[in-house]
Amino acid sequence: MSMFDNAWMNKWQKAVNGNDPMSWIGKHFSAEFLFGFGESEYQVSFLKGKIDSFTDEMTPETCYSLAIRGPAESWEKFCQEVPPPMYNDLWAMAHPLHGRVTLEGDQMLLWQNMRALMWALDRMREI
Amino acid sequence: MAKIEPITGKYIWVPFDGEEYRIFFEEAGEGIPMVCLHTAGTDSREWRHQLCDPAINKNFRVIAIDIPRHGKSIPPYDYYKEKEEYKLTAKFYSGIVMAFCKELGLEKPVIMGSSMGGNICLHLAENYSNQVGSLIAIEACEYSPGWHIDYLRHSHIHGGETAATSVFGLMAPQSPDKYRWETWWYYAQGGPGIFKGDLYFYSKDHDFRGKTEKLSGDVPIYYMTGVYDFACTPEMTEDTATKTKNSECIIMEEIGHFPMSENPELFNSYLYPVLDKIMANR
Repeated sequence: MSMFDNAWMNKWQKAVNGNDPMSWIGKHFSAEFLFGFGESEYQVSFLKGKIDSFTDEMTPETCYSLAIRGPAESWEKFCQEVPPPMYNDLWAMAHPLHGRVTLEGDQMLLWQNMRALMWALDRMREI
Repeated sequence: MAKIEPITGKYIWVPFDGEEYRIFFEEAGEGIPMVCLHTAGTDSREWRHQLCDPAINKNFRVIAIDIPRHGKSIPPYDYYKEKEEYKLTAKFYSGIVMAFCKELGLEKPVIMGSSMGGNICLHLAENYSNQVGSLIAIEACEYSPGWHIDYLRHSHIHGGETAATSVFGLMAPQSPDKYRWETWWYYAQGGPGIFKGDLYFYSKDHDFRGKTEKLSGDVPIYYMTGVYDFACTPEMTEDTATKTKNSECIIMEEIGHFPMSENPELFNSYLYPVLDKIMANR
């Protein structure tokens, strides 16, 4: 398994879907995102707080509302057990002052689901 | 034996700018008055550890206030029909803090504030230098853009959870979970639109660029910033401190934007030497 390959994504999916608080934090969290970890890109579908599916096979039918892209180095730092300053949080990385990741698309989706999305992203540190 | 903290809470009516504001404050200790200012959208509970620390309150009368519309300080009676949404300004913020100090009869108090409470210290130094003793500007700099965001007051967004989650990453991962999530809890309880309105001051009305160098230096300013603060980075504070006469800059490792509440033991260890200097120079 390498970071951000399909096996890694499988582990993230299991970590999110097996997380007890996610069942209530994410009760109303259903949305499609594109995550870009450097060259690796995945469409990820959340359904009621669980990762329902993910794929790296982009087709004309692949839909997502918000793309969150950043260099692999940014995400590698984010995933560290103790991330360094400016990399410990999605908003830290995406804030206009820093720009370690970019947000493209329906940004209201991030703010509407911030609690559940952040909680799901934190599970990346359990892989 | 009951475990009772030394904090007492009181209300004071403060006249300011033609209005009268019912302001809640907590206090503990005796000695040099030190008024503590909370961060945006929250309240005086952030300071509970400093209020209770005998190493601090044996020499300082520690006073933590809720500015109007925050915590237990009610908004003006006509808030529900104001012509514009709430926007905190430097003029009101600095004025109400000094009116509170005057009404309480505080002589040359130390003012210690974090985030917007840190940024207001520059305005206090500019306009009230003859009325304050020292300023402790935590997580402060001359300009902190990028936080006055419309999503923070939006009918399709949960204001409390979103405000709290948007600031969670400002805290250091090394800070104890129990204190980080307590800080999150405070943030989840702000009045609607208050966090956003405070951030108008934080990111828009507070712009000291070109003015920092002109501060007289009559009042010492102690800048203290945590390395995990991505809103006001250590570099931003250092740049401001370099331009500020009679100032000192302390960069705090393994701590973020809410030092007093996210990791009080660590923060207090940075604060003690500052308080020692203030006592020595008083």
